[in-house]
Amino acid sequence: MPLNAKTIADDEFFFGHKACAGCGASLVVRTCLKVLGPKAVCALPAGCMSAVGFNFPQLCFANNSMITPFAATASVLTGIEAGLRAQGKKPEDCTVVGFAGDGATADIGLAALSGAIDRNDDILYVCYDNEAYMNTGIQKSSLTPFGAKTTTTPAGKNARGCLTQKKNLFEIVAAHGIPYAATASIGYLPDFMRKVERAGALHGTRYLHVIAPCPTGWGCAVDETIDVAKEIVDCGLWYLAEYEGPQTLAEQAAAGEPAAQGEQATKGAPAIQPDAASGGRFTLNRNPREFSSVEAYLRRQGRFKQLADEDVAAITAARDAKWAAMRRDWA
Amino acid sequence: MREVIWHGRGGQGAFTAARLLGAAASLAEGRFVLAFPSFGPERRGAPIRAFTKMDDAPIGDRSASAQADFVVYLDDTLLDEDWQRELKPGGSVLVNSARAYDDPRIVSVDADGLSSAVLGRPIPNTAFLGALAALDDRASLADVHEAVRLYMPEKLHAKNLVIIDAVYAQFDPARGGTAAEGDPACAGLVAGDPAGAAVAAEGDLARAGVAGARSQDASGEGALPVGPYPAAKPRPVSRAAGVRIPTLRSGSLDPDYARTTCFEAGYLVAKNAGWRSLRPVIDAAACTGCLQCYLYCPDGAIFKASAADMAAPPASSQAPATRAPRAATPAQAVFVDYDFCKGCGICVKACRFGALFLVSERQEQRETSEVAE
Repeated sequence: MPLNAKTIADDEFFFGHKACAGCGASLVVRTCLKVLGPKAVCALPAGCMSAVGFNFPQLCFANNSMITPFAATASVLTGIEAGLRAQGKKPEDCTVVGFAGDGATADIGLAALSGAIDRNDDILYVCYDNEAYMNTGIQKSSLTPFGAKTTTTPAGKNARGCLTQKKNLFEIVAAHGIPYAATASIGYLPDFMRKVERAGALHGTRYLHVIAPCPTGWGCAVDETIDVAKEIVDCGLWYLAEYEGPQTLAEQAAAGEPAAQGEQATKGAPAIQPDAASGGRFTLNRNPREFSSVEAYLRRQGRFKQLADEDVAAITAARDAKWAAMRRDWA
Repeated sequence: MREVIWHGRGGQGAFTAARLLGAAASLAEGRFVLAFPSFGPERRGAPIRAFTKMDDAPIGDRSASAQADFVVYLDDTLLDEDWQRELKPGGSVLVNSARAYDDPRIVSVDADGLSSAVLGRPIPNTAFLGALAALDDRASLADVHEAVRLYMPEKLHAKNLVIIDAVYAQFDPARGGTAAEGDPACAGLVAGDPAGAAVAAEGDLARAGVAGARSQDASGEGALPVGPYPAAKPRPVSRAAGVRIPTLRSGSLDPDYARTTCFEAGYLVAKNAGWRSLRPVIDAAACTGCLQCYLYCPDGAIFKASAADMAAPPASSQAPATRAPRAATPAQAVFVDYDFCKGCGICVKACRFGALFLVSERQEQRETSEVAE
């Protein structure tokens, strides 16, 4: 039975937190823990979700949770998992899960994450991507998209926000040959819940990259979080995809299971060739015939207010190039 | 040394108010002040503190005040049972509330109501500058006006001066205010200067075109209701009963598995109700039980329950929070936990059936208090 609002656990495992009203990242943690259940063990680096979840003596987590050094999310997850196993205290349905922001994942903690994937430690790493260092007051990270205004990439007469492109972290992680990686958005929670469930059931290192808008940093109204998270997918600036590594494909083949449940797979599309470099397989879960307007998505957010028309055109062109490649290689 | 402790939530301007008061109190020759904030992992809405220290000699102690002559609560949900601990003997508590409190040391200022009426949204900090100008002799009304002009952006001057004057008039003993009686801190209250200051402010306001907002308090009649918002009926303080925190079924935890450090989610957490200026209300007749609001709530503040569950609340709760059941229908499957809802409105956007809408929190609180009476 697919996970949805009716079938998901009634219990709240992340409750009473002090995040801003309309916080997208807190919805990532809430939803993820409702899927993984009370036996999941969490680790969170310095970042919004640890700052708003642990206010001594207040505790917003029902699960065992700890705060890690900024760079060490994946290493701490490795240690927790090994420790639980060594003590014989790791039940079958215990997922060791980390929740790190985009800065803690793509910048500061990237080496630790890469190391954990290399060792194929049995952990789930969830990156809630709000596209800047929001906890410290909106500084650019390597997942901040081109054109976004942050305090370190200001916009004004002589500057137009972030000059670099968003790092392609999903494919960087996939290139390790990780057993499972997926992208998601809190605008499409059923898709996200399915991926959490799938990741929770697999073994080895698993990675989820979830877009989680931040009204404070993005410059949108607090009730628009979900709309914006939907629109970034609808306009094609984010995509819903999965990667299954060689280990997962081999397990599936052994069990005789069908391929991923993405739209393409269920439509009986021809078998997709494994990605030659990593031996895994990409699946595009959502392949819209038409995109909604990139301009409408950008213009509704304060952080993109300064963009010139040619900037919007460049962003649209980059989107088209990315989708041409994804449709060629993944669909 | 005169000390003020400011309690507020991130975004309410506690530190700004602490600074402005300090600036006002330091305008005269030979006056010394310190103003500084203290916060942890602050968020918009999270509790913070700020301090103003005022003296006639340089102030060497730069640490937080343990006790103060005035303790200001910009959010009444921060006023807990321990409030006396921070109060010097003879000191006063000023709280942002439309309620009346039983203890004479606690003085209400309806700063949210007043700032909503004047600014269009509840930013309560400057209202307390007006109260402190009246209750405390370290900063006169004229000095507070000057501090606002010096340290606030120009476009904010006129409206904030309206707020300050309105609250000042409410507390000025010369105009029949009651709050200052018996408060030794008010002994040296300046009554002569404000006239000139009021004229100066009037000039500013006329230029800004908002003089009309002052019309009611200018009459000097009826000490309490100030400004165009309706007078609130006093009511006793009560921590909202009928709290429904969704809890973890502790039986589902494996007893061998780190049981001792597992707490229910929301363990010891302070309520987030004070973050909210808008309140989502469920129209039971239109609710289809699709649960989308429940699914997309970032705070998990919407919980599943049937109308039957809610119709028979525990005996201890006669809560405003459970007012929904009166009209509940079988289709309604969710209720809002008003102790933890931050009022972001995501649920309203998520509802495709128009069964959720936002109402003014203050209005709603007034209505429920009237119902209770």
